[in-house]
Amino acid sequence: MSEQPRQITLDEWEARYACLRAAGVLPEYSYGGPLGRHVRDGDLRLRKLRFDNSPAALRLWNFLLTEEERLHQARRTGSKLVATMKDLGTVPVIVFALEGLVAFYPDGTWWTPCVMEHCDGLLRVADTLGIPDTFCPVRAMLGAFVEERQFPRPDLIVCSAGATCDDFSAIAGRLESLGFPIFWWEIPHRQAFTGEEAVQLPNGFVAARSQVAFVRDELERVKAALEGLAGRRLDEAALSDGIRQANGVRGLLEELRRLVFTANPCPLPAMELLIAEMFAIHFCSDRAECLVILAELVDEVRRRVEAGLGVLSPEAVRVYWVNPVADLRVMNLLEECGGRIGGTDHMICHALVPIPEDVAPLEALARMALADPMVGSSRERAARISREARALGCEAVVVSRIPGASHCGLEGAIIADTVRREAGLTVVEIEVPPLSDAMLPTLRTRLEALVETARERRRA
Amino acid sequence: MITAGIDAGSRAIKVVLLDARQDRVLAAEAVDQGVQQDALATELFDRLLSENGLGRGDVCRIVATGYGRNLVSLADTTITEITCHAAGVRRVKPEARSVIDIGGQDSKVMRLDAAGGVRDFAMNDRCAAGTGRFLEVVAQRLGVRLDELGERAGRSRSPAFISSTCVVFAETEIVGLLASGTSPEDIAAGVLQSFATRVAAMAGRGLEEPIVFTGGVALVPGMAAALTEALGRPVEIAPDPRMTGALGAAILAARHSPSNVRNQ
Repeated sequence: MSEQPRQITLDEWEARYACLRAAGVLPEYSYGGPLGRHVRDGDLRLRKLRFDNSPAALRLWNFLLTEEERLHQARRTGSKLVATMKDLGTVPVIVFALEGLVAFYPDGTWWTPCVMEHCDGLLRVADTLGIPDTFCPVRAMLGAFVEERQFPRPDLIVCSAGATCDDFSAIAGRLESLGFPIFWWEIPHRQAFTGEEAVQLPNGFVAARSQVAFVRDELERVKAALEGLAGRRLDEAALSDGIRQANGVRGLLEELRRLVFTANPCPLPAMELLIAEMFAIHFCSDRAECLVILAELVDEVRRRVEAGLGVLSPEAVRVYWVNPVADLRVMNLLEECGGRIGGTDHMICHALVPIPEDVAPLEALARMALADPMVGSSRERAARISREARALGCEAVVVSRIPGASHCGLEGAIIADTVRREAGLTVVEIEVPPLSDAMLPTLRTRLEALVETARERRRA
Repeated sequence: MITAGIDAGSRAIKVVLLDARQDRVLAAEAVDQGVQQDALATELFDRLLSENGLGRGDVCRIVATGYGRNLVSLADTTITEITCHAAGVRRVKPEARSVIDIGGQDSKVMRLDAAGGVRDFAMNDRCAAGTGRFLEVVAQRLGVRLDELGERAGRSRSPAFISSTCVVFAETEIVGLLASGTSPEDIAAGVLQSFATRVAAMAGRGLEEPIVFTGGVALVPGMAAALTEALGRPVEIAPDPRMTGALGAAILAARHSPSNVRNQ
């Protein structure tokens, strides 16, 4: 029954599931079942992916792929749904501190066209609404809002504006024009001002004290709006508890990343790590369950590390990966080409470190929000990536562009130049659309060449 | 020890047989690519062996490279064209620090270290701009052979400005220029300039010299000069530039394998 860690296909998972089930070794949970059931629901992409073979990874996938059902269920049972857009991890902490509210992340629908291989039709809806493929695939959320299949119409939509990417602002603006009222809050472009006290933020960034105060006031407005929706006040103790819970998730992810990045052989595939990391920003609509799933995954990975087991060859080249891919298949491809994940910046680094608990809760959240790598200069983000890639012993860097995402066009070259200059690593830029099948040969060439180059350097 | 490199490109299949001990190329030839890539590669490989009095058992290792590398069943292993072109250039021009490789369907720029290894690379393969296919379409529209394009460009007195990088729009633009009386020579010169500018943009700033030009497009007269102008640095065409990838593959076959692997 126990099998060595490895990546398996959907069909192999079906057979393994039946064995595990018959042996009674799978934990019971309401959203459980074989992976194949999601394919029958339309998640066709799963047929082309290779998955980690642990029950913990199966649970991770099942949790991810049942979020839709959870949101509709939450609506039926009277919970209020809050769509939290763009802020990448701050507002959900406040939402989940208020009983009766459930936060979700509509931007996450950007993966639906990939997972459903376009049979969802979300991008076509966005096309008809005047947001074509010159915009980031996050435009899929427009279709989801209009069609109400992926999630019910939210009771409140909260979206950050200001230092956000242009295409996202355009998409959110279009959403509002369609009659979806948005509660906007502003996040300024992070900077320190001469002659003003600078506040140290997580991940080595700094911001002017006045900026932190401004964001704190903005979050106070958000809190008031959420209190109005919930019909109750959120006191400091409850918010502090919400921060502790969020830190529970972040702590598990911190440990998971540490284990995955430092162990050899690599104990968890890149795709499962990417999905787990994303839980940091939205808890996949259920914070309590998210904690259980991540704890299980960390246990599994720790067991593997202690036993010296992994899913990839010990010779795999350590690659630092920048930006999440629109097509999950490409994370498998990296490993097929001889690479492994050695570090990541999926634009959510600020959501992967603990929120300070020694300052007032809104002050702490303001600092976290300002530590978002996407609200500062590209140069700062690039320098952080370069430092981290070097510290983690990465041998190469992939900058994965998201087609249509304005920030990618602007910062890709800055990140590549900085990493080459400061870390001395080989960098390759790729662009990954929601379905990359037609481009796989060229993507493969780039990733294989990157691995070959890194191996040649290793030999030298 | 004889090794072979097979470069299955988008427009041609190239095979090099190398006597690695004597560092001597025994045979190097290319045939047009087709649907049956594997059969074409095998046929060419067998013919070169036969012409040189060799059998398959004499070849100790075969490396396939190029776009169709995974379709070459003869190959013991595959290596990307980026690594292979670097290895090929290293043999013909050891002091090279940069390689520009332009083939039928993509273009690449490689920066090399002092030992000839790849330090970094950039590729354009999202569209036909900056590829041999772009030049083919233009030549066809102008009613000239590809190898005449450069000669025509050389006779230009005032190169046209081609603003489109998309091959379809560029074709439309060329039709418009012809209709407005612009000479084919000026259009050809404009196309080479536009093409070279595109490749130079991909190369970025500070491409180190010597810069060596490989791939089938290097054979287009005037292309190296256009690149030299766009980069502001001299660009030197590799000897037999179409074969550089296959040569590199044969060299790497010798380097990375114990001898006589196939005979054991």
